[in-house]
Amino acid sequence: MKRSCTVVVSAAIVAALSASLSAQWDLRPKPGVPKGADGKPNLSAPAPRTADGKPDLSGIWMRTNRTEAPGSQPAGRPPLAQFGDIGVGFKEGLPYRPLALDLIKKRAGALDNPDALCLPQGPLEYHLDPQPREVIQLPGKIVIVYESNYGIRTIYTDGRALPKQGEPQPYWHGYSVGRWDGDTLVVTSNNFRGALTNLPGDGWLDGKGDPFTDALTLTERFRRVNFGQLQIDVTIDDPKAYTRPFTVRVEQEIVADGSEMIEFICHENQQFLKLTGRQ
Amino acid sequence: MKTRTALVLGAIGLLLVWTPVAAHHSFTAEFDADKPVKMTGAVTKFEWTNPHAWIYLDIKDETGNVANWGFELAAASGLMRSGWTRFSIKPGDVVTIEGTRAKNGSNNANAQTVTLASNGRKLFAGANTQGQP
Repeated sequence: MKRSCTVVVSAAIVAALSASLSAQWDLRPKPGVPKGADGKPNLSAPAPRTADGKPDLSGIWMRTNRTEAPGSQPAGRPPLAQFGDIGVGFKEGLPYRPLALDLIKKRAGALDNPDALCLPQGPLEYHLDPQPREVIQLPGKIVIVYESNYGIRTIYTDGRALPKQGEPQPYWHGYSVGRWDGDTLVVTSNNFRGALTNLPGDGWLDGKGDPFTDALTLTERFRRVNFGQLQIDVTIDDPKAYTRPFTVRVEQEIVADGSEMIEFICHENQQFLKLTGRQ
Repeated sequence: MKTRTALVLGAIGLLLVWTPVAAHHSFTAEFDADKPVKMTGAVTKFEWTNPHAWIYLDIKDETGNVANWGFELAAASGLMRSGWTRFSIKPGDVVTIEGTRAKNGSNNANAQTVTLASNGRKLFAGANTQGQP
């Protein structure tokens, strides 16, 4: 009963949203969206592929709002991360080193969350933000445009190796290279600025302030399960902040109604510093 | 017919209340969840902006004094996805806003719901999903 109510309510919300969205701007469904017998997008159809036969991750993706109780994920599957706390799924918490615990304590109140400061978000904040992101898969590279804070990230898939740490310089988004492992895109990143710069906004993994440092090697395994779903398993390997690597899962779903990215100029009317007494 | 339209709009408004549009910024840093407010007044300004939209109201207290209050909503982009437009509110509209007051004691609050006095339409204005600060 509860489930059927949820379905009805969800369907009504979708209907209301569709009506309101279509009243505001032209919906432009992309060609190639598979349709079911009812004419609606068939999100469980197979993932599309590029000319070279690899899964095509291109599209506009929203995070799902699915959550789960800590420790309740199936055996062998990483727990789901949340924007506010990527470690929420670990019953025993994250494997912090004292340096990380100290940073989290200093970050109480989230005054220096890069998201709030209109600075580039941390890599998992970008994956988990409620605003969408567009993946553009090209020969030799994949570009991800994040609506939130207008982040742009390039993943090189031309076979190059990661640069040495510090060369040419640490970046907010790090330096990313990708290779295909079967149908999974494995992206490895280094050269992050990290929390040890002591500059506001540097080295935040989530809204709570779980930190990362310049020692971070980030591994993301992107798998487009079907037309509608993207799974990203993210491994944080940062020996300065954590005693061992750990992995969390991000779930995203395709935007198939033809709605598009919306301009987001974060400094347009920024009141955060004033409201928190720093301006 | 008019009544029916109003009912339908009302229903859509209620549905929009549940639409997840998470707040962009650290609302917990700005607002005190233990200080809920519910205020009614006339709109003096509506800022359709990012990272957050703002509604300003003239609020009359029990002694008749009028003060201008600012209410922070979700991002304009998020509001747009949940059915708002830049014309949803205009100066002179009387609205009731429910939210929580600014920690710094200023005449500011966040807005969780905005209800239009003219038709009772309730618009969702912010959210706190996935532990969004």
